[in-house]
Amino acid sequence: MNKKILIVDDDLAILDAISLILIESNYDVRTESSGNQVVEKVITYEPQLILIDVLISGQDGRTICKILKNNDQTKNIPIVMISAHPSAKESSSKFGADDFLSKPFELDDLLSIIEKHIH
Amino acid sequence: MRRLLHYLNPIENLGNRDYTTIFPALGTTLSAVILEIVARYLLKNPESVGLPAIFIFIALIIYFSFRKGIRGGFASAIVTIIYYLYIIFTRNYSGKQLNSGLETTLILAILYCFLATVIGWLKQMIDGLIEREADERKRLQDIIEQLPVGVIIANSQGIIVQSNNQIEKILGISIPIGFKLGSKLLLESKRNGNIFEPADGPLARAVKTGQSTLGEEITITRNDQQKRHLRVSTTAIQNKDADIIAAASIVSDITEQKEVESRKDDFISMASHELKTPLTSMKLYIEALKSQTKKFNDSKVEAITFNIVKQTLRLQKLVDDLLDVSRLQTGKLSFTFEKFLINELLAEVIEMLQVSTNNHKITIKNHEQILIDADRFRIYQVLTNLINNAIKYSPNGTDINIFLEKDQSNLIITVQDFGIGISEDQHEKIFERLYQAADDTEKTFPGFGMGLYISKEIILRHGGKIWVESTKGKGSKFYFSLSLGGEK
Repeated sequence: MNKKILIVDDDLAILDAISLILIESNYDVRTESSGNQVVEKVITYEPQLILIDVLISGQDGRTICKILKNNDQTKNIPIVMISAHPSAKESSSKFGADDFLSKPFELDDLLSIIEKHIH
Repeated sequence: MRRLLHYLNPIENLGNRDYTTIFPALGTTLSAVILEIVARYLLKNPESVGLPAIFIFIALIIYFSFRKGIRGGFASAIVTIIYYLYIIFTRNYSGKQLNSGLETTLILAILYCFLATVIGWLKQMIDGLIEREADERKRLQDIIEQLPVGVIIANSQGIIVQSNNQIEKILGISIPIGFKLGSKLLLESKRNGNIFEPADGPLARAVKTGQSTLGEEITITRNDQQKRHLRVSTTAIQNKDADIIAAASIVSDITEQKEVESRKDDFISMASHELKTPLTSMKLYIEALKSQTKKFNDSKVEAITFNIVKQTLRLQKLVDDLLDVSRLQTGKLSFTFEKFLINELLAEVIEMLQVSTNNHKITIKNHEQILIDADRFRIYQVLTNLINNAIKYSPNGTDINIFLEKDQSNLIITVQDFGIGISEDQHEKIFERLYQAADDTEKTFPGFGMGLYISKEIILRHGGKIWVESTKGKGSKFYFSLSLGGEK
């Protein structure tokens, strides 16, 4: 069975492009463009990894990260934060993110960071 | 001197007209003659008329002198009285002596007339001079008052001797003349974000140390809580013995300019972040496209895809540069120092850039291993910028040489090209923000003019230097130095 990845971003082009690439690389991908339903989605979908953009309209990506890390059902799923602000790296780890990817990233960076967290 | 002449002056100025000379002289002569006649009559029979008549007469003169406000009349009276008192009380009065008394009186009157005239002239002359000086001073004051910048001048004791309307408007207070520098006038003053005491203000410092400053930027909080950004230029004024005799500050309010600048920086920062998101998806789509084109095995499609990749990378470089410039402006560019071999980094840069050009041959002229302590990514950026420029500005394609040299404490890297070169007057300017060199026909090369500015800032933050040696038409040598922290 393919490894499952959930991508959370309010930019539909990013969701589409990352899905395209990851499906190509044989991952099972779901996307979520609103911050409000992430927790439910994570519980039902049970992904092996979550990619979250730091700035999501509606809710800060870091807050979602913190909620997921404080929930017993979801706290063990690795979370990679994505942002165009390199300075967001530090704050992301404070909120419990496992890794950080700075925009614009190379495809190789994305794939290697995913492989690092999904064994 | 002026004061002395004023008191000696036999007559006050009445309005604008000067009655200095002739009236008191006439008064003196007339009163002397009348007194003489009266005295003669009295002294023939002193017991019968007596002194009271003389004193009544003198009192009349004094009275008229005062009533007319004529000090000269008063003075004449005093002189005459003293003279007559002298002859009345010290001489044996005979007609002969009285004759000579009359002569003496007349001579005195003429002398007085002459003296009064001379004194009058002198006074007029000095008054004229003083008036002219006052006029000059007034004109200077008017000029200072109406200058469009704030002006404040203190003497060597740090006491404010002059300020203008504009400075009061800028500071939001009125500055009393005679105010001593060092006392608090504003809620708060900051220099480079640090609060400083009034005694350490630019003007107070110039008075104390003779230190002049040009375009110093200061932030103040006025008493009405308003924050203003000021640009202050201060100069200590010295006499020929180099003693500080005064200091002057010229102040302009640059608050609005600062706000515009900060909005512009915010905009650049925001815009480049906004540009990064579509750039990210573009790059991912390109990767997807690349793997699709492989399936078709069509060389035309592959060539087009290659060009899309190249242009996307160029766009990314511009966005990165824009963001770096905005971070440099706001002081948010951070550095991570590590020890690495500069040769390896250089080889990496050359390998990447050599692919982009078929016309140039990039060569390292020295293969010594040199360990440095620096921000690897930022030095990579500097090398990329310099070598890219060398390629860009030698369109006719020749060698690009890179030299690594070191002395006891510094590493100097040189990037040499044989391209269009840079005229001497532009050697400094090319490192300024958004400045771009043009060639003879004023044709500019593509780019934003950010690369050298970013490189300069990066090298400066490493404690190094960056400079250029170049002759127009003969190519350029760009140098930068880094301290060899790693080999200490």
